[in-house]
Amino acid sequence: MRFQLAALSLRRHASRTLLAVLGVAVSAAMLLDMVMLATGMRQSFASLLGRNGFTIRVSPRGTLPFDTEATIGQARDATAAIGRIAGVTAVAPVLGTTIHVLGGREPVSAFALGVDPAVQGDYQLLEGQDPAANGLVASDALLRAIGARIGDTLDVAVGFDPQLRTYTGRRRVVVSGRARFTYLSATDRAAALELASVQAMAGASRSDRVSLFMVRTAPNVDPEAARVAIERALPRVTALSTAGAVAEAEHRLSYFRQLAFILGAVSLIVGFLLVTTIVTVSVNERIGEIAIMRAIGVSRSHVVHQIVIEGIGLSLTGAAAGLILGVFTARWLNSILRGFPGLPDAIDFFLFQPNSAFRALGLLVVSGIAAGIYPAWRAASLPISATLREEAVG
Amino acid sequence: MSGQPLLRVRDAHRDYPRSGEPVHAVRGVSLDVTQGEYVAIVGPSGCGKSTLLNLLGAIDRPTTGSVTIGGTAVSALPDKAATRFRLTNIGFVFQRFYLLPVLTAQENVELPMAEAKVSQTERRERARELLGYVGLAARADHRPAELSGGEQQRVAIARALANRPIVLLADEPTGELDARTGADVIALFDRLNRDGMTIVVVTHDEKLAGAARRVIHMLDGRVIRDEPLLRRA
Amino acid sequence: MIAAALTPKPVRAQGIDSVPPWRGLVRSIAIDERLATDAGLHLGDLVVLASEPGRSGGDTVRVSAIVRRRADPSEVARSEYRIRMHLGQLQELIGYGDRVDRYAIATTGGVAADSALRHINALAFGFHAYPSREIAVETSKTFVVVSRFHRAIGIITIVASATFLLCIMLLKVDERRRDVAAMRLMGISRATVVRTVMLESSFVALLGSLFGVGLGFAVSAFVNAHYQAVYRTPLRFAIVTPGTVTYSVLLSLVLGVGAGALAARRLSRTPPLTLFGR
Repeated sequence: MRFQLAALSLRRHASRTLLAVLGVAVSAAMLLDMVMLATGMRQSFASLLGRNGFTIRVSPRGTLPFDTEATIGQARDATAAIGRIAGVTAVAPVLGTTIHVLGGREPVSAFALGVDPAVQGDYQLLEGQDPAANGLVASDALLRAIGARIGDTLDVAVGFDPQLRTYTGRRRVVVSGRARFTYLSATDRAAALELASVQAMAGASRSDRVSLFMVRTAPNVDPEAARVAIERALPRVTALSTAGAVAEAEHRLSYFRQLAFILGAVSLIVGFLLVTTIVTVSVNERIGEIAIMRAIGVSRSHVVHQIVIEGIGLSLTGAAAGLILGVFTARWLNSILRGFPGLPDAIDFFLFQPNSAFRALGLLVVSGIAAGIYPAWRAASLPISATLREEAVG
Repeated sequence: MSGQPLLRVRDAHRDYPRSGEPVHAVRGVSLDVTQGEYVAIVGPSGCGKSTLLNLLGAIDRPTTGSVTIGGTAVSALPDKAATRFRLTNIGFVFQRFYLLPVLTAQENVELPMAEAKVSQTERRERARELLGYVGLAARADHRPAELSGGEQQRVAIARALANRPIVLLADEPTGELDARTGADVIALFDRLNRDGMTIVVVTHDEKLAGAARRVIHMLDGRVIRDEPLLRRA
Repeated sequence: MIAAALTPKPVRAQGIDSVPPWRGLVRSIAIDERLATDAGLHLGDLVVLASEPGRSGGDTVRVSAIVRRRADPSEVARSEYRIRMHLGQLQELIGYGDRVDRYAIATTGGVAADSALRHINALAFGFHAYPSREIAVETSKTFVVVSRFHRAIGIITIVASATFLLCIMLLKVDERRRDVAAMRLMGISRATVVRTVMLESSFVALLGSLFGVGLGFAVSAFVNAHYQAVYRTPLRFAIVTPGTVTYSVLLSLVLGVGAGALAARRLSRTPPLTLFGR
């Protein structure tokens, strides 16, 4: 009968209950979105970095991968040195530069990666083959921009001097494949060539140099130990584990995480206040009824349970509605943030993780329970005779 | 009066704290009510009769003195036990009926039985039986808002009888009713008493007081006169 | 280079030597405040600059100025250090020859800027001049996204707070049911009851929004202090403008008056005795 009474009490002021549920739903949606934002970036960035099993990035000392134009010299020796470290199973050298596809009215520029196709982790082939000595795989955006297809021959150059209209290196390459570049956005014009080709075209300044190494470790090896070993073996580099990179990204994007935390907390407080207010007002209105229930022998625990159930009912219904609303608003917000220029396709700011989502909504329901406790305790502690006297006068 | 007292009040005082002087609502009342009696407590407003009724019903506790109901010293019971005692031994009827507006007449009558953990089948049957007794069998599925004042009060009486109490206490039960519906309630109380129910009513209504077998007059928190009326035919 | 185009605010500075001949002398550089703090550098300290970590040789220079970065949003998430040095010295240090990445050109603005732009693009082979506003649009894309995101969050927050406000105002007015009943029983007209209740709810909404504005100022001060410390920037992250104050006060007034009108109409149409619960 407690459940029935609680449900009937909520139905008694249907419009008020509906408004409260709506308020809790919006708060729940906001809370859910903020939890998705706080955990989403981290998860999606970690999963992006962890693809293909590369657990460590090695860049010139004091820099992050591709943060500056700095490069690591004596790349061949460094590759061998890293490869000798216990637990390291593969070393993928990468040199980044700007490449120009000539032949059209204006050269088309693209971001080019010099890689070792046998161990690379920068792209996934969608069609065709990895680049050979005079080959190149390109992103769809680049192929569209130059109107080329697999099998076409391109005139490409590196090291453009705008004043003299010269290049440090130029060669003809065949488009061997179409690829999706893991760390770039779908709109980025990108190409991958053999490392030696890019180094040769870039001239002396890039001879035997790379921008970074991506290092794969054995599953049973602690990447942190390998990271330390790399820095010890090569003092001129900074080795960054996936966890470290995630922490660095988190620091740089801490604004979003903190915004998520603040707005999440505000949502929780708003939900709590809303349920408290509704239940308190509802109890105040029924103070006479509650006093009579107590007078005819209804126990305090019955009164407390009934009122707490009302609070739970409001927050559970609101949380359920908020779950649906939250997923939709998260998609909307994610689509806005995915407009960041150059954001890799695989990065999502809002990631639905059932555990986190249900924990957040659980917290809201717990706050709903807490919200009902005060008015319930107050109602159950009413001095019966005094209340009846006041109600009779009122 | 005959037999052992069902209700026994001994030198009961009830003071309410108030800024300045405390209010002495009940001052040294002693009285006995025996099984099957029909007692009316009368007196001007503020004389302490409702407070006395609350003491008799274990809703309130005397500041000093004692109240014993059916051999149980209710004035000494802790809150939980007093609540349970009220549920199973005392039936209350109030001036304003105070039915739960969200429940039907039947459900209102079932409420105290549900609290007393009576099985659903049994409480449904008894609620129907009680509504029949008060003449509202046909209105069992109506909510209070759909009932007249007299009907609501009869539902409240049926509710008060739900757990077969040993005494029925009523505070101005005809106070909100017109003369005709008030007369129905008076007749119902009379029938209940004839069927063996002990009744104590607090009232300003002369007709209701006149229907009782004993009238206790109060003034300024004290019993000033306690007179048995002639039993009518 | 790029840094040369910026105009950072000097925090502590001595003159940076710029008059040749400097050969044989220790030249001076300006470093940013973050680097000074993190590396424990002070004015007058000698440091060695190299184009690569660990490279032997390099230039020994003296720290002669410490500068603070401008309040530029595009700088917020960048954690690298900056130094400012003489162009020729940098060219020499990194083997760049007599080259620069770009020029920043100051004009008197307006027509002069357009004319200078046309002139350079027509005459200078291998160069392309862009107006600063075009570059600003390009570099501010990230902030357009952030601003769009903030607007979206703002919409959700407004919906949540509007629902909350509406709910509270309805309850507040509903609490007055007995007073309204008494007024009606005294013979006060429905219109007067509605007006009275609406006036009261507007007053509550106004008081609440004024409190909210105060809270907004306090929160924005906290947010600014916090993020300025986190990102080590003088940028202001939250600003309470007259526009936002007007908007929030008006919104809460509209909601307060709306909720008051809604509840008051309902109350005034209910028979007084029903309001009393009889």
